[in-house]
Amino acid sequence: MTETHTGVLAERQAGTPRNASNNATRTAAPSAWYAAPALIMFVGFAIVPLVIVAGLSFTDWDGLNAINFSGLTNWIKAFNDPQTYHSLGLTLQVMALSWIIQTPISLLLGVFTAGKQKYRAVYGVFFFIPLLISAAAIAIAFKSLLDPNFGLGQSLGVPWLSQNWLGDPNIVIYTVVFIIAWQFVPFHALLYQGGVRQIPESLYEAATLDGAGRMAQFFNITLPQLRNTIITSSTLMLVGSLTYFDIVFVLTGGGPGTSTRLLPLDMYLTGFSSYNMGLASVLAVILVVLGLVLSLGLTKFSGFSKMSSELEGA
Amino acid sequence: MAIAAPARTTPTTRLASAPRGRKRNRVLPNIPAGITATIWLLIAIVPIYYVVITSLKNQTNFFSGNALLPPASPTLDNYALVLQNNFLAYFANSLIVTLVSVAFAVAFALMAAFAIVRGSLTSRRLRLSFSVFLLGLAIPLQAVIIPIYLMITRAGLYDSLIALILPSVAFSLPLSIIILVNFLRDIPNELYEAMRVDGASNWKMLTTMVLPLARPALTTVAIYDGLNVWNGFIFPLVLTQSPDKRVLPLALWSFQGEFTSNIPAVLAAVVLSTLPILALYIFGRRQLLAGLTAGFGK
Amino acid sequence: MKLTAKKRATLGVALLTAAALALTACGTSGPGGGSTGNASAWALTGQQKTIQASFDTWNAANTGKKVDVQFFGNDAYKQKIRTAIGSGSSPTLIWTWGGGVLKSYVDANKLVPLDSSLTAKVFPAIAANGEVDGKLYAVPNNTVQPALIYFNKDVMAKAGLTGAPTTWDELLSDVKTLRAQGIAPFSLGGASKWPELMWLEYLTDRIGGPTPFKAIQDGEAGAWSNPSVIQALTMIQQLVDAGGFVDGFQSVATDSSADFALMYTGKAAMILQGAWGYAAIQTAAPDFISANTLGWGDFPTVTGGTGDASNVVGNASNYWSISADASKDQQTTAAGYLTGGNMTDTYIAGLLSSGGVPPITGLDAQIAKSANASFLTDVYQMSENAANFTLSWDQAIDPSAADALLTNLDLVFLKQSTPQQFADAMTAASK
Repeated sequence: MTETHTGVLAERQAGTPRNASNNATRTAAPSAWYAAPALIMFVGFAIVPLVIVAGLSFTDWDGLNAINFSGLTNWIKAFNDPQTYHSLGLTLQVMALSWIIQTPISLLLGVFTAGKQKYRAVYGVFFFIPLLISAAAIAIAFKSLLDPNFGLGQSLGVPWLSQNWLGDPNIVIYTVVFIIAWQFVPFHALLYQGGVRQIPESLYEAATLDGAGRMAQFFNITLPQLRNTIITSSTLMLVGSLTYFDIVFVLTGGGPGTSTRLLPLDMYLTGFSSYNMGLASVLAVILVVLGLVLSLGLTKFSGFSKMSSELEGA
Repeated sequence: MAIAAPARTTPTTRLASAPRGRKRNRVLPNIPAGITATIWLLIAIVPIYYVVITSLKNQTNFFSGNALLPPASPTLDNYALVLQNNFLAYFANSLIVTLVSVAFAVAFALMAAFAIVRGSLTSRRLRLSFSVFLLGLAIPLQAVIIPIYLMITRAGLYDSLIALILPSVAFSLPLSIIILVNFLRDIPNELYEAMRVDGASNWKMLTTMVLPLARPALTTVAIYDGLNVWNGFIFPLVLTQSPDKRVLPLALWSFQGEFTSNIPAVLAAVVLSTLPILALYIFGRRQLLAGLTAGFGK
Repeated sequence: MKLTAKKRATLGVALLTAAALALTACGTSGPGGGSTGNASAWALTGQQKTIQASFDTWNAANTGKKVDVQFFGNDAYKQKIRTAIGSGSSPTLIWTWGGGVLKSYVDANKLVPLDSSLTAKVFPAIAANGEVDGKLYAVPNNTVQPALIYFNKDVMAKAGLTGAPTTWDELLSDVKTLRAQGIAPFSLGGASKWPELMWLEYLTDRIGGPTPFKAIQDGEAGAWSNPSVIQALTMIQQLVDAGGFVDGFQSVATDSSADFALMYTGKAAMILQGAWGYAAIQTAAPDFISANTLGWGDFPTVTGGTGDASNVVGNASNYWSISADASKDQQTTAAGYLTGGNMTDTYIAGLLSSGGVPPITGLDAQIAKSANASFLTDVYQMSENAANFTLSWDQAIDPSAADALLTNLDLVFLKQSTPQQFADAMTAASK
């Protein structure tokens, strides 16, 4: 599942709750202590670590010895290391490819499964199974399925299929993108399914009376009506692609060479494999900044503040 | 607007009621969607089929036979092997971590959401805390794994199930609170007033009125959090060590090394680890799917 | 109002905490969980039967001094052990490879020194790998594991070949012959990266002897750009170009023994791997060995090279070290096990029957009588007679550069880096 959510929601839901603003004034409100357990947990294990990771990026911690201040050494090293740019580039590449591949497929599947026909429901039962499976399990399954010597290609006798999916540096990134799509398309299809079901039937009825064909209806009604779903889904996809870790870790470990060493994986390997926790912390900070910039940027770009004011009036 | 939806009806009730009263003009076959759907159906099913049939093969069959043909003589030996290799212990660990994390997360989130909905007009502190949770949605879990590792080891909690539970709860909270806040907003103020006239305290309102009313939203939240914790990989990878603290996703990864070339056994472990959720899926598909997308609007 | 709410919140947290603690209580006391209770040991799965039996025997005879042993796959263990040691929750008995990793543990005061009499009967070159600054910190617990070439006799015969190549030129011509027959010459677990290292280690040693690597280990300036290293890397790329490795070697994982499987299922003719391969094949494909289809030989010599042909590379052995974070009682128990439980006669017999030889002197007669006498005698003599035994580089160098070494070498195998780029990257990583 997505491990991070985004500023989309933040923008949308911020502000005072609607009902409360109208009429809660007269009832004595519960004390803020009710929020304390959640706040303590969250600040303790999410906000404080953010501060610590920023601090660690200025130290030489190696996981074994004492932690010493080391100034800007790690930052200079990170920005001089071609690996940092390579990982960053790969992450952006996966982000773009994932969006390009997953969006149309999810959209079509969402439209399809929103239909009421029995067979579509049956399709739906199978579509959503990948959602339930852990990334580790998915990676293990694909690793053996795509084995060039004992897997899929050999058994089908289709030479094209027995390519070195996970071993060829030129192919592997697309394989990873495909497997990530296999894992996440169901989730986004589900979002679109919900979106399609929200479109008022009357719009289609009116269009049919006007003699609009299926295609025209799709482009003139369905797509515009799904605008918000498209934005939500896209934001989740884009920001979510900063968090692909477990599937790549189990599938390729970043290899062959460094062909799939995405930023989160680079961070993990730098920290827990090369024991350079300080340098890894720099990469973690980059990851956080990237996530924040991306989600804030996307919300600004898609004009959510305007929408949330519409919301207030709704 | 679409985003307002979760606030008004819960996704669960909406989904359940959706089939009624909506006639869609889906009489004409939708060809592009149908083709995509059929292709994707194959893509979705082949790996699952492959995992299941391979888990029924023995090792020799696997290396010599055709990968996509079912075994001539299926065997459950691999499942026996996996079960003998502490699988049930890993399963129990996963169950404990998931149940405890979800219990904490749901309870804390409900209390916080209650306070935020009822009190944020009068309390600046509550408004601030809501913003903190909202901000939390944008923190990638991977980015804080190093400091969490440091904190957990320094606290002497390394390699314990508590080490997994604490951060899992923390990272479940933001979305849980947002879903619940949206839901609780729709409880009419009159209901609170009525209870208040009867002299009920806020705690009583929370436990006797809000809790039962919020049950659909709580289920949704529990499902979402539960699935994330159950399938979580990086916290167990970094925060635990010994086999007796191993949870399922990590166990799968370790099985790869321990079973050496016995890939059918590894895949049998994959099947077994997914079975509980698959069972949930079979019995509560609608609820489960609704839980997954709640909070992201419709 | 405020007080009750606060009380209730506190009560709620307390109750849930109590529930969680109760549920997870079993999680805080198990083996590997720190410095209380029984001593613990983490071992690799390779010799699980023998090691398990040895601990069982020890535990049965010493009820008050039990050692709980747990087994890991190689890659998973390497990921985990450092984390465990760093967090002070390592097992009492730590499985190591000697070399640079051992030194980093000693430098961080994570290990206790051991009694030097423990290695009295060990091959001196092997015992030396367990010493840091003249003190003993690690005792061999496993077979000596030089890397050698295994081959599938049936497949070789099909191409008209009788044995492993003895010179590099012969190796290249064998590659041509095998490719012409449509057979992959060498299997290679490229996805695990470290099997690729054996090629670099052997070639560097054959070309320039042990000195180039000694310089690397000592951190000398320019050591990575040594002509022997560059030439070795160039030869590796020539072999890759010649189709020397099985198609798709980049995605073959050693952790699942798929590299050996390729050889014994006949998809590849040969494989350069550690001596543990014999035991691995015996477990996975016993028929292959009983039918006498498995052959083996030394790594070929390189024309013009100065390295002694008897030199070997590989894992000198595995070792037990004792954690400084363990309690005194646990340390005493572990030390007792090292004297009375490790490398006993039964233990040695177990290692021999599994297809490996321990680095212990005076076993010739016993080996000659064992079930796998021909393989074991060869490996035993190979190790005992080696003029130099080079420890696997990733274990021998500073651990902070080990990951970079594997990654950069992988890039050479993939033809994404030139030998010089490899040298430059490693020079940068070793700073």
